[in-house]
Amino acid sequence: MRSHKTIAAGVLAAALASTLAACGSSSSSSSSGTTASASSNGASSVVPAGYQSTVNESLAGKRGGTLQVLQESDFEHLDPGISYFALDYTVVFATQRPLYSNEPNSTAPTPDIASGSPEVSANNETVTVHLKEGIHFSPPVNREVTSADVAYAIERGANPNVANPYLTTYFDSIEGVPQAKGGPIKGIETPNKHEIVFHLTEPKGFFVAEALVLPLTAPVPKEYAEKFDNNKPSNYADYEVATGPYMLENNAQGKVLGIGYVPGKSATLVRNPNWSDKTDFRPAYLNEIDIKIGGSQPVIDRQVLEGTNVVQNEPVAQPAVQLAAEHYKSQMVLSPGGGNRYVSLDNKVGPFSNIDLRKAVWAELDRAALDRARGGDLVATVASHFIYPTIPGFEQAGSLTGPKGLDYNEHPEGDMTIAEKYMKLAGYSSGKYTGSSTIQVVGASSPPEKEDAEIVNQALKSLGFNTKLTLVELATMYAKYCDVPKEEIDVCPTVGWIADFADPQTVLNPTFNGKSIVATGNVNYGQVNVPTLNAAMAAAEVVKGREARAKAWGKIDDEIVEDAAAIPYDWETSPRLEGSDVHGVGMLWNEGCWDYSFTSLK
Amino acid sequence: MTAGAAEILPSGGGALGFLDAGGDIAARSPLQLFWRRLRQDRIALISFAFIVLLIVVAVAAPLVVSVFGLPGPNVQNLTLTNSFGSPLGPTLAHPFGVDPLGEDVASRVIYGTRVSLEVGVIGTVISTVIGVLVGTLAGFYRGWVDTLLSRFMDVVLSIPILLLGLGLGAACSVRGCVKGLIQPGLSTIIFIISLATWPYVGRIIRGLVLSMSEREFVEASRALGASDARIMFREILPNLTAPIIVYASLLIPTNILFEAGLSFLGVGIRPPTASWGQMIAAATPIFNTAWWYMVFPGAALLLTVLAFNLLGDGLQDALNPRTAR
Repeated sequence: MRSHKTIAAGVLAAALASTLAACGSSSSSSSSGTTASASSNGASSVVPAGYQSTVNESLAGKRGGTLQVLQESDFEHLDPGISYFALDYTVVFATQRPLYSNEPNSTAPTPDIASGSPEVSANNETVTVHLKEGIHFSPPVNREVTSADVAYAIERGANPNVANPYLTTYFDSIEGVPQAKGGPIKGIETPNKHEIVFHLTEPKGFFVAEALVLPLTAPVPKEYAEKFDNNKPSNYADYEVATGPYMLENNAQGKVLGIGYVPGKSATLVRNPNWSDKTDFRPAYLNEIDIKIGGSQPVIDRQVLEGTNVVQNEPVAQPAVQLAAEHYKSQMVLSPGGGNRYVSLDNKVGPFSNIDLRKAVWAELDRAALDRARGGDLVATVASHFIYPTIPGFEQAGSLTGPKGLDYNEHPEGDMTIAEKYMKLAGYSSGKYTGSSTIQVVGASSPPEKEDAEIVNQALKSLGFNTKLTLVELATMYAKYCDVPKEEIDVCPTVGWIADFADPQTVLNPTFNGKSIVATGNVNYGQVNVPTLNAAMAAAEVVKGREARAKAWGKIDDEIVEDAAAIPYDWETSPRLEGSDVHGVGMLWNEGCWDYSFTSLK
Repeated sequence: MTAGAAEILPSGGGALGFLDAGGDIAARSPLQLFWRRLRQDRIALISFAFIVLLIVVAVAAPLVVSVFGLPGPNVQNLTLTNSFGSPLGPTLAHPFGVDPLGEDVASRVIYGTRVSLEVGVIGTVISTVIGVLVGTLAGFYRGWVDTLLSRFMDVVLSIPILLLGLGLGAACSVRGCVKGLIQPGLSTIIFIISLATWPYVGRIIRGLVLSMSEREFVEASRALGASDARIMFREILPNLTAPIIVYASLLIPTNILFEAGLSFLGVGIRPPTASWGQMIAAATPIFNTAWWYMVFPGAALLLTVLAFNLLGDGLQDALNPRTAR
């Protein structure tokens, strides 16, 4: 998934062949009751003390009250079958309950409407999930949730009117999914009301089980939703019902549009009368969440810092980070795991198909300066590889310093001597580029991407490259240039990636596997296509067990760094602001966005 | 007024000067008269001096920057930002502070003068030349020529020029348009600005030529068998010098503002080239922590536009005393 505030990546390459062997044990997908130790994945090393999100305190949070949310951007999709965007997830995960969910400070799945861990068969080709009893849809549906509702939720994802963006990426091994067009899927069986079985055509059960945290698995009542799903596009979101502690306010007919959600204006979450805390791990302290859409980020940030009962949920403008750190320290929470940022270089066409030129740029680039321009130490940590803190494999890939013995990766401030060494290795005896190519650099025009693009541009110039820097809107940068291989953009200085769930494969496979390259919406920005790397990924996809997978993918990360396929410079830490009387709890797995089901008023 | 109709003024300066011994009465050339009147307009003179200073600064930008011991406009130095990445404010070494990249704001303001003046002056010259030419032809020939040219000016005037600028900026940003012929940057901006403003000049000149060509001296020339070209460019146009100068001087600040606007919207001058509009745009989100980043380029823009406007007013008064206070 793209980072916050960018258009969601859209349909990823179906080439995301993710084979994961099952270990079939309870250690795999769920760890009920316990939260994953984030520090083991480097989370604590990037967030200074005093800014960490604390969930334990809030377990005794105050009940009741209305929380105001000020939000600059509108939602993209609130339909659980379509949404694929951090901001949408804040509402989707307060109103919808997938089979598994992440607790706020965790990146490991917890059973949500499932009653326990998924059971993966010995041959890794069947996944069975049992559902809790006593979970009901919100009005006007009111009836109990059954396994058929989960089956329908996934089926409708294949309906072109719904067009879930990641169904084929993660679930194409379920029998019938590749051919599905919205009808029943052969490989999804519901033996009884509280059991659902996924039959796979390939031994990818473990990976499918991991992906059940995605909101696509949140139940949808067929008899109610079908008439909306027959519309093109589906307008189920305008009438959607909830299973979570909250629901979008609706009328007796279930209509949400214009009542609980006014596009471009507001959204209102009220309590779901049919929700019971006996079936859920969410405390749901608040009575109501009023979301106001619009305004400008710097103003919103100030309003939140000076206000009460109010939070914001988007990347904080840089001046507000400083203001908060200096005057409102207790009102800012920093969440690690905001994804990685890197300079992508065209590995296929142009000067940067030469590995030594890539290494030279890496060595010369002042990555500390890039992070400084992004807001400094609080929100940015110099990256030395691609798997970022909170994702398994971070430690294995070399933790904070990255793989050893690579001189070009050892100087975050940049080192011209090392850069010149690689320029000479590339055949430029003066240490400066003397070729005739003009380097196309396309960055984004808004801060901090603008500053980063200019720093990268300057570094290229100091190596003798003749550059042409163009700054466009962030969405345009991706959609028209960096995502489109035939544009042959030599350098995209400010691309980034954030995992869909905590598995290192979801960080590296879409972005560096040669098989992931597609004509549009391509997120292997640099067209990295190294046969040995592709083979290593194919092998790592079937590795069993979390530890082993972390090791295997950590090693692949090191190999990407050794190939200098792209230049990582930032592991993002996402700040979020809260009013003085709000005890916000951030979603570690969702860029630190506030979790409305755990946040309370003081 | 018609240029060349010299007033007779006392030479001595005093009200009774013409009674001085010798009764030395001089006929002054239009230029002398103009200068005489302009000299009394302090505000116009100060504006003029400021503009001269701007031109000197623009032409000698590298020298000015090095005289003040400032770094170049594109020298990045992130050590000049605090631990939050906020730029540091004015100091002796950086009198206008630095921007988020640690680039010296004073240096960038000085280099920004170049862009503003280039766009202002070149854009104005181009649009004035085209406008005068088209306006003269339309006003002189009348009939279908006038209809054709005037309607064409109407068409050009109805082009939403800001949208055109935004569109060109968006569509041609990376690879350029028309096989790379149109690239965002200085020349495109000048082109857009000239395109936008020449019909205004054209319309005014057309009206003036229309009335001028009824005058006796034109008829006399015609009777003497002068060619059309001679009548237009040797008889009529010199009489329009004053309004052309006045109008051009007022067009310059408009064009400077237009460039700043386009750069503010991100379709003008490409970074890292310094432009005031672009600096103001970049300063907007961080105004709370770095006021200097907006204030200094903003002040430079304000003063420059003000100076050109005041000088334009002064020129108008001096060239056409009947409009004076």
